[in-house]
Amino acid sequence: MRLFVLLACVCFTYAEEQKLPEARLLSLKKVLNRYLVENRDVSVDYELFNVGDAPALNVKLTDRTFPPSDFDVVSGSLDAKFEKILPGANVSHSLVVRPNKYGLFNFTSAEVTYRISEDSTEERISFTTEPGQGGIMPEVEYERRFSPHYLDWAVFALVSMPSILLPYFLYHSSKSRYEGLVKSKAK
Amino acid sequence: MSGVSKAKKLTREDELLQQFSNNVTARNSATFYGNAAIVAILPIWLFYRIQQLDLVSNAILFTAVSAVSTYLLAMAYARVQFVTKHKLAQKREQAINREVALEFGDRKVSRDERDERVLCRKNEVAQYEATHYSIFYNNSVFLSLVVFLGFYLFRSLAPGLNYILSVGGSAGLVAFLSTGK
Repeated sequence: MRLFVLLACVCFTYAEEQKLPEARLLSLKKVLNRYLVENRDVSVDYELFNVGDAPALNVKLTDRTFPPSDFDVVSGSLDAKFEKILPGANVSHSLVVRPNKYGLFNFTSAEVTYRISEDSTEERISFTTEPGQGGIMPEVEYERRFSPHYLDWAVFALVSMPSILLPYFLYHSSKSRYEGLVKSKAK
Repeated sequence: MSGVSKAKKLTREDELLQQFSNNVTARNSATFYGNAAIVAILPIWLFYRIQQLDLVSNAILFTAVSAVSTYLLAMAYARVQFVTKHKLAQKREQAINREVALEFGDRKVSRDERDERVLCRKNEVAQYEATHYSIFYNNSVFLSLVVFLGFYLFRSLAPGLNYILSVGGSAGLVAFLSTGK
């Protein structure tokens, strides 16, 4: 029995030593906006880290989670390709989309495929992290809460001023006239 | 002949009573309601543009709140005018006496005629100043309250409820404040 355990340990150590170097990609998908708003740009950032000990080759990033019926691509691309990501290196890719509907939306993961080493033809498929569910705010609600509306306030001030200034001017002109009469008499 | 003279005298007395009474004349009432209506509909712009309250779908709400606010504001104008008018009449007495004296000049007039002229002129001036002061004061308070309530105190409420509370509340508060003088 002891001999068997010893033999197993030796075999395991040998197998570990024989393991070929390979690339391992950790991928991250982030939505950068604090507020997601209908018809306003949403920035999405992808970051790929190679934590393996071989370069990742022919890396393809594909995001199929933004359906054209719900999002317009403003800038960047839903697909990205990197020839090589060296061990310990990282790359990033950005995308700007614009939601054309409001409501809850589940931001799920993008797909990453790559060759694990130069000697291997094996293609590995992995997924990015999921940003999770986010509420897309109606544009009207966003305008109501965050827009400064300087022009609207200016118009209001302009329209409401006559209703305050005109009566005051009429009152003041009469007041000044009669107070002036009293003063001239006193002199 | 004497009957006609008596009727004339009564009419003059009625006129003076009317001038010094708490009742608002028809002309004044029209001025008050016209002004109140204009000021009551001004906040609609803010709620339409900033609070995104749709004009068509909230037409009934806008009309109802504006009508109530118009009534309350007109009431406040009348009350403030009445109180201010008497204070101003006392303040202007000296100046009016001088004005009437200048007006008559060297002409010889009876003391009664002169006193009546002073009284009428004083009433006219006090009414004019009090009316405009009342409109200025109530409009300033109402619009300031609307902005404070609608865009600070109740800003997180639903726009419809915010409109009712801030505009109706401001008009109510202005009417309430006018009773305290």
